[in-house]
Amino acid sequence: MILEPLLPTILSVRRIPDADPALLRAYGADPDRHRSLGLITADQDDPVYVALDEATKHSGVDVVFARSFWAGAGSASGKLSGEVLGVLAATDPAEIDEGLRAMIRCLEHDACFYGANDDGSIAVFPHVIPSLGRYLSRESGLEVGSPMAYLVAPPMEATVALDAALKAANVTACKIFPPPTETNFAAAWLSGTLPDCEAAALAYAEAVVDVARNARQL
Amino acid sequence: MSSPSRTRALMAELRRSLGEDDPMPPRIEPLRIPDPPIRVFPKPRPRSRYADEAAAHTTALVGIGRVGTRYATPVVLQFQAELAVAHAAVAAELPDGWADEHGLLPLRSRVGDHREFLLRPDLGRRLDADSLERLRSTATKGVDVQPILADGLSAVACMGSGLALLEHLTAECTQRGWTVGTPLCAKFARVWLEDEIGQEVGCKVAVILLGERPGLGTGDGLSAYMVHQPAIGKTDSDRNMISNIHARGITPPDAARRLALLAGSMLEQGTSGVSLDLSPLVAELGDAGGVGLREPQVREPLVFVGDDDGGPE
Repeated sequence: MILEPLLPTILSVRRIPDADPALLRAYGADPDRHRSLGLITADQDDPVYVALDEATKHSGVDVVFARSFWAGAGSASGKLSGEVLGVLAATDPAEIDEGLRAMIRCLEHDACFYGANDDGSIAVFPHVIPSLGRYLSRESGLEVGSPMAYLVAPPMEATVALDAALKAANVTACKIFPPPTETNFAAAWLSGTLPDCEAAALAYAEAVVDVARNARQL
Repeated sequence: MSSPSRTRALMAELRRSLGEDDPMPPRIEPLRIPDPPIRVFPKPRPRSRYADEAAAHTTALVGIGRVGTRYATPVVLQFQAELAVAHAAVAAELPDGWADEHGLLPLRSRVGDHREFLLRPDLGRRLDADSLERLRSTATKGVDVQPILADGLSAVACMGSGLALLEHLTAECTQRGWTVGTPLCAKFARVWLEDEIGQEVGCKVAVILLGERPGLGTGDGLSAYMVHQPAIGKTDSDRNMISNIHARGITPPDAARRLALLAGSMLEQGTSGVSLDLSPLVAELGDAGGVGLREPQVREPLVFVGDDDGGPE
């Protein structure tokens, strides 16, 4: 069955209530403002980025570090590594807890990849964020609270599908990540009204399914 | 809030529109439970050949043995797993828009939500105002047979073999030269809803095909209730019914044939229910007379206890 959620697995969640200033600096935090860190690894990177953004809507945390690992969860360095490390920073450890809880909720109930073919070997992430938090608004250059379509697929699928998504609705590409990214996927961030973002995400997912079904046209 | 995630709702919608939706719940892997370190087996007693033979023809809980005064562990576990299947079937809901997608006229009873449906059978027996209006303006009137597909107590069954049964029944009726009403699909429906629908369309015979109360291991069974001259106020003594319509019971084509035979005698005798004389049909209904021996039935194991070969020596 296609377009079923491929749920991300949260591999580790740890807190550092009183982090060393050297560590804070190395991971992009500011020792004058930040003291506590919250760390998470999971086997899907893009849902984690969406979840990190979600955390900034629920508590006073800053996303100081979010990186994907080379070649993705299939080539992880250890069983807790997955394909992404996300780091939240805040002054108050309680803010970290609240942020991590919001992330876990988001990863369990909202953000996830979907299978574009029957065995799930082609994955698509046609995610609509109705209202951006502080993290992705900073990364995308959009206003906090504006909608965004966060679209990811493997290289061929992503290229064909992005074209379909851009033509399907009144959306503009605020950022396009051509392949290869760290995990060898390709991605795009589209902005527009919420209905336009939803239409674009639907068109994107449909196009990925179409490429999955008809891989060779010649 | 219908779904906690907008994107998941969008993808479910796309999956449906691509025709990739599977209404049946996902297949559950059978559980494997390791053997306890020590197992005391009851002394095997010689089994009656007659009991074995009888048990092979039903999935009912007969010939399951006992341990002391209790059921054996695998029997209890299987029972609980099957009960879970039944619970899931009762909890399933017919998605809005399903009827439209399959070319059926969508109707709805006066029930507000699924919980109310389970608690208030009376509301499930009447159409709400919108549906009544839609039925009056759209449906064909004065037909011979009016089939109604409905969710009843198992939307899973309705979405599973409901359409096939409806098609077979329509084909059987048309073949006999009867007029068949607009195909309808009622949500949150109880059996007696056919009385109001039949009265509105002024049909001679109304038949409602709906998911039956799930039993152990059968969450996908349909029942068909047929009534002559439907009108509000008809009772169960005015109805004839066929139950256990599913792949392991009466198959939809077979059920459609039997229903058409029933409808035929209703049209001929001008009555239904207890006053309908079925004696001329005994030969044609065959098994429906209840004399034939059913094919052997296999209970689908949902839980395995111990090793694959059935436990340690």
